[in-house]
Amino acid sequence: MLVEKNKKTPREKSETLWGWSFIAPTMLGLGILNIFPIFQTIYQSFFKTGDFGKGNIFVGLNNYKKVFGDVEVWQSLWNTIKYAVVEVPISIVIALLLAVLLNKKLKGRSFFRTVFFLPMVAAPAAIAMVWKWLYNSNFGLINNIFHIKVNWISDPNIAIYSIAVIGIWSVIGYNMVLLLAGLQEVPRDYYEAASLDGANSWQQLLHITVPLISPTIFFVLITRIIAAMQVFDVIYMIIDYNNPALKKTESLVYLFYKYSFEQSKKGYGATVIVVLLVVIMILTVIQLIGQKKWVHYN
Amino acid sequence: MKKKVLALLLSAITVMSLVGCGTKEAEAPEAAPAKEEVEAPAKEEEAPTSLGESVEGELTVTIWDEGQRPGLQQIVDEWSAQSGIKATIQVVDWNSYWTLLEAGATGGELPDVFWMHSNVAQMYMENDMLLDLTDKIAASDKIDLGNYYEGIVNLYSSNGKQYAIPKDIDTIALWYNKTIFDEMGVAYPDDTWTWDDFAAAAKKLTNEDHWGYAIQPGNNQEGFYNTIYSMGGYVISDDKKTSGFDDPNTIKAMKLFTDMIAEGSCPDLNTVSETAPNELLCAGKVAMSINGSWMLAGYRDNEYAAANCDVAVLPYTKDPSDRVSIYNGLGWAAAANGKNTDAAWSLIEYLGTKEAQTKQAELGVTMAAYKGCSDAWVNSVDCFDLNGHMQMLNAKLVFRPYSRNTVVWEDMLTEKLKEAWTGDKAVEDVCMDIAKSMNEALAEE
Repeated sequence: MLVEKNKKTPREKSETLWGWSFIAPTMLGLGILNIFPIFQTIYQSFFKTGDFGKGNIFVGLNNYKKVFGDVEVWQSLWNTIKYAVVEVPISIVIALLLAVLLNKKLKGRSFFRTVFFLPMVAAPAAIAMVWKWLYNSNFGLINNIFHIKVNWISDPNIAIYSIAVIGIWSVIGYNMVLLLAGLQEVPRDYYEAASLDGANSWQQLLHITVPLISPTIFFVLITRIIAAMQVFDVIYMIIDYNNPALKKTESLVYLFYKYSFEQSKKGYGATVIVVLLVVIMILTVIQLIGQKKWVHYN
Repeated sequence: MKKKVLALLLSAITVMSLVGCGTKEAEAPEAAPAKEEVEAPAKEEEAPTSLGESVEGELTVTIWDEGQRPGLQQIVDEWSAQSGIKATIQVVDWNSYWTLLEAGATGGELPDVFWMHSNVAQMYMENDMLLDLTDKIAASDKIDLGNYYEGIVNLYSSNGKQYAIPKDIDTIALWYNKTIFDEMGVAYPDDTWTWDDFAAAAKKLTNEDHWGYAIQPGNNQEGFYNTIYSMGGYVISDDKKTSGFDDPNTIKAMKLFTDMIAEGSCPDLNTVSETAPNELLCAGKVAMSINGSWMLAGYRDNEYAAANCDVAVLPYTKDPSDRVSIYNGLGWAAAANGKNTDAAWSLIEYLGTKEAQTKQAELGVTMAAYKGCSDAWVNSVDCFDLNGHMQMLNAKLVFRPYSRNTVVWEDMLTEKLKEAWTGDKAVEDVCMDIAKSMNEALAEE
């Protein structure tokens, strides 16, 4: 039966209507709260902003010139990258191992799944406060248990990694749940066949599980890198302004917050965040190209 | 099985998005690090989403200190009884307060009555965000600006107009741990101490378990600013154009503290940046801490501090007349475009009266901005002899140095001083460097 493409049956029409009305709230929200402000921010980055949004002066590319000459911006970009490089791979590897374990028939499996997911549900502010005390060099639990004296969060050389540890801890559960969902898609018989051929569980993991759930890993990787590049809350809560490690831990978003909201230089803050947007875009494009080499879609 | 995991995933994502939405806005300002606890730090845990806008027939009053709310509400209720207008005090923690106040000012939705602070007052006044009170004060028989401490009155005036009525005054004093002093056999600090005595005592009070004194590197008002002015130096010139950090006396004052860190009688920067000096004092880890009168509630409510600590006046340099307290004071301001400006003024006027100011002191909220009304504050707690703070009102009162955009150079100051505290760079060089950057920042204002 050949129907002209433009003409829709009443059923199709109603489906279109319902479809649109279901996604409308999200689309509207995205448009008003995310997409419109993105362009507004880009627009603002060409201005030296006045108090209370009044008296903005157009300065062309001056803010960008200043950003590229600003050592602090480059240092914070480097800090952000260091954080992402530690947080993302480690959290994914641990989450993958946990997901594989918790996908097996274990006693108390749901209990462990819940436990590992809990940090994701806890408020970031509360997490930061607890870790801040764990890390405290004089009274902290970590130093007191191991009888060491390490300035976990005030030594410029290690503070960013201490913060990455918190990031890993918080995000493992989320990654694990996504990977678990991916694991459900892997047919059992592959493993049975592999066992018959004498493959041990390590080989099975590397040669069956990982390739088959590579689309999920890819999804987790992309979203985690974006999120890690935007790290702010933990750093803001844990590193005090007079902390000697501040310069080696502040992230780009932290810098944006400092300029925009603490020093009321909204135009310059907007410029910093546009730079971050570009960096994230480049990273994502590279990954989208790179995925062809390792992601297998059945 | 598949369904189960899918369900888990879906519910997880729902929770995520809920948590995500809930925290994105809230998490940042909430429980913020007390970078500058100019007034008491955040106590309110709830994250506010709005500062409360003007509603007809009812006043919204917004402040940032939960410790002061019960007392102030009592005073506000008395005003309500007279005027018949309801007024509710809302508390928003220090960091959120400024973020939200600015958003409110930009969007034209400020609370009716709120606190103003020296950091940003100039910016709000110049942009006509605050209700001009000049004519109302002139017409009032209750308010005479001559009754308040001059620096606070001047702070809230711009181009000959007055935008706020002084609320309170603070003084800085020396808090100390009596138990550690007894243990080490050192006499308690008194009004005969000089800054040199202070440094010598700190050395004697230091052993393996505790330090003599802990500096607050991020809060200049509770520390080196007092010493700078006491030793004859200055932070900013009277015309707010040049920095005083290249003044030899300023450098001498800074050196007092860097020397204490170097010889170990004051903990290093790592320690104080992780644990604030007032926390160290409350933990019996430090014998002395220089704090503002707004810290009273915190010490009073801490069992250890209430049992072991007391407060004395700050030391002087050469002569008791050069004993300095850097002071600051909040102001009660109203929104210029509020719907209840008459009621708002009536409330502000009441809060500025002698009775309300005396009551504020009696209830132990804070010392009064109205001269001579603070005596009752001394008796508001039993555990400390608050004369240490009271007598600082008779010392040389220097208003906390500020300019139009204070935060910019104060941030720079805190940042650069780190190298001096750690000893990586000579304090003289750091101060010269600060003077240079500060002059540049001031030129841009």
